[in-house]
Amino acid sequence: MNNALIQCPACRAWLTEGPFNQPDLVPCPACGVPLQTTVFPSFFLKTSAGPGGETALIEGESCCFFHPQKKAVLPCDGCGRFLCALCDCPLDGRHYCPTCLETGRTKGKIKTLENERTLYDGIALSLAILPMLIFYFTVVTAPMALFVAIRYWNAPRSIVGRTRIRFVLAILLALMQIAGWITVIVFVSTRHDHHA
Amino acid sequence: MTTTPEIKYKRLTRTTGRPGFSVASQSRGSLWLGPDHLLCVFSGGYTETYKRFYFRDIQAIIIRQSKRRLIWNAILGPFLLLSLGALATYLLNRDDVGIVLFVFFAVIILPPFVINNILGTACICYLRTAVQVEQLPSLHRLPKARRVLAQIQPLIAAAQGGELTPEAVAAQMTESIAPSPATPPGAAASEPAQPAPPVI
Repeated sequence: MNNALIQCPACRAWLTEGPFNQPDLVPCPACGVPLQTTVFPSFFLKTSAGPGGETALIEGESCCFFHPQKKAVLPCDGCGRFLCALCDCPLDGRHYCPTCLETGRTKGKIKTLENERTLYDGIALSLAILPMLIFYFTVVTAPMALFVAIRYWNAPRSIVGRTRIRFVLAILLALMQIAGWITVIVFVSTRHDHHA
Repeated sequence: MTTTPEIKYKRLTRTTGRPGFSVASQSRGSLWLGPDHLLCVFSGGYTETYKRFYFRDIQAIIIRQSKRRLIWNAILGPFLLLSLGALATYLLNRDDVGIVLFVFFAVIILPPFVINNILGTACICYLRTAVQVEQLPSLHRLPKARRVLAQIQPLIAAAQGGELTPEAVAAQMTESIAPSPATPPGAAASEPAQPAPPVI
């Protein structure tokens, strides 16, 4: 991406003259769509090449675990392996090797790398509520809702924080449905025995 | 490896559908404020996906006015006029059908019409980093977008070492697009020519 210019989102014209960082909407010089553009200092930062790692010159000097020819500069905060400047992956004030970074992402141990979560509380509540539209389905879905709510009670919920209220509602509704079905079955069987 | 602690987020916007008039919206988005980043949360039914924009990486925020409010007014306006016509029919002819139609349209059409105009001018917000231009979810109205921008702008400025005045931005923009001095004949170019700006 060209760092030098900003495009109008409507007509894609390059905004060379601004005005920028104004409090009001200003028409785009090309298409006239009102825009408010706020530019921050990082827009003008020039990116430079990252460190590549120094070659280990002295016999017996600590070397990188992944690059034995390069000098180790720090240990990984996850596994303790020595890392060169190239292998160092800084994140949230800690330093990880690429393996620990990937493990942290896939196993959910590094929260800032987590980019997806399954909402089991929503699944349990939907299993408890939606089948009530065709009530006969609840004989199957009520136990399923109960299982999901109990099985995933301690699973991570939304990253932005959600209470367990959906789990609680799902459990209550599922128990009521199961109780209802047990009542129906007992009633029907006792009537059948009575008639017999 | 020990698990990093959960981050506390502060809600900036409620979950709303994507802008536009798609009949079946695939996901709904909301905006949250973290300690050093913005978090966009997209809810697709039973899963959530997250996108983080660290304050140090945000280059620009662009708010563009859209025609959403006008379009909704154009859709709801004729029905509102119909209801007024029904009211006029009732007043002139004492026709019960007229008052029924007026009440029906007034109850159904008037609240969304009023809300659409109270919420303010419609807009679309874009966030630019070094590698992407992302549309921010649930910032569809200018007053709300400005409130959110007022909240995050000081945090971005603090992460990047200060705010830029309009004059400073204009000066740096002019400097960055100024043509480089011509190289003397016979001298080798130290860098290859810059390619044309890509269309985003």
